[in-house]
Amino acid sequence: MLLRGLTWLIVFQLLGTALNHLVLRMLPGPIIGLLLLLGFLIIRGEVGKPLADASASLLRYLPLLLVPPAVGVMAYASDIAADFWAIVGTLFISVLVSMALVGKLMQKMLARRGEHP
Amino acid sequence: MNLDWHGALESVIHHPLFGIGITLGAYQLVLAGYERTRWVFLQPVLVSMLLVIGVLLLTGVSYGEYRKSTEILGTLLGPATVALAVPLFLNLRRIRQLLAPVLATLVIGGVFATGLGLLLAWCFGAEHMILMTMAPKSVTSPIAMLVAEQIGGVAALAAVFVLITGVIGAIFGPALLSMLKVHSPEARGMALGMTAHAVGTSVALQEGEECGAFAALAMSLMGVSTAVFLPLAVSLFV
Repeated sequence: MLLRGLTWLIVFQLLGTALNHLVLRMLPGPIIGLLLLLGFLIIRGEVGKPLADASASLLRYLPLLLVPPAVGVMAYASDIAADFWAIVGTLFISVLVSMALVGKLMQKMLARRGEHP
Repeated sequence: MNLDWHGALESVIHHPLFGIGITLGAYQLVLAGYERTRWVFLQPVLVSMLLVIGVLLLTGVSYGEYRKSTEILGTLLGPATVALAVPLFLNLRRIRQLLAPVLATLVIGGVFATGLGLLLAWCFGAEHMILMTMAPKSVTSPIAMLVAEQIGGVAALAAVFVLITGVIGAIFGPALLSMLKVHSPEARGMALGMTAHAVGTSVALQEGEECGAFAALAMSLMGVSTAVFLPLAVSLFV
C-alpha cells in the first residue's frame, strides 16, 4: 500500500534529521535517510511492495516537486542580472564539459573491462 | 446586480491553494506539450518555472506567498530523496560489479566539475561571494545550500545555480552524450546524475531504470562527498 511505504520513507527521513542534528552536521537529513534506507534494504535483502510503490510514485513526480524551489529565481533576479554572463557562461561551459568528461571516462572504463565493446 | 468581480479575483489568487494549483496546471501543460512535440526545450522543470513566474507576475502574488502555499510540495522533496535508495538498491549488484570505475569517475569527475566551475567563474570576474555560492553547483540543492552557507556563499542563490546547472544539463546533456557516442546506460546515468543532480536524475529515469539508478547513485555519492570534502578543501586553500 502506498501509505505504508510513504510512512517508511518519512520515518527514515526523520531518523536522518535526528542524526543530522546529533552528529552529522554537514550532511542534510534526507541524504542521511537515503543512506540509512539503503543500509536497511541491504540487510533485509529485498524491497517490500509498499516501499517500492511509494518510491516509484514519488520519483515519478520528482520534477514537479522541484518547480517551487526553481521559481525562487525570481527573488534573485537583480543579483543574477549583475553577474549574468559570468554566471550563465560558467555554468553552461562547466556543466557540459564535466558531463562529457564523466560520460567518456565511465564509458572508457566500462570498455576496458570488456563491457559494451 | 453588482457583482464584486475584483474581490472574487483577489480571494482566488490569495487562496492558499492558488500556488499549488498553478504549479500542477503548469506542470501538466508542459508534460502534455512535451508528449505531443518531443521538443527537448520543453524541459518540465524549466518551462513550468517560467509559466509559474509569469502567472505570479501577472497576478502580483509575491514569491514569499507562493513559496508558503507550495510548502507541502517542498516537504515531499525529503521523502523523495530518501526514496532514491530503492532504485539504488535494485541495481546494487550491477553497481558493485562496477565499483572501481564508479569511484574513479567520481573522484576525477567531481574534482574536475567543481574546479572548472570555480576557475571559469574567476576568469569571468565573479566576486568571492558568487564563487563560493557556485562551488557546490553540481550537487542536489539541500546539500548545495548547506555547503554554500558553510564556505561563505548565499544559500538561496546556491539553489538557483544548482537549478540552472541541472536544467542546462538536462536539456543539452542527453544529446551531448549521444554525440560523443556515450551509449551505455551506466555511463549516461553517471554523467547526468553527477553533473546535473536531481534534474539530471529525472531525465535519466526517463531513459530507463538502470540509467536512473546510476544517476541516483552518482548524485548521492557526489552530494555526500561534496558535503564532506568541499568545506575541508576551501578551509585549506582560501
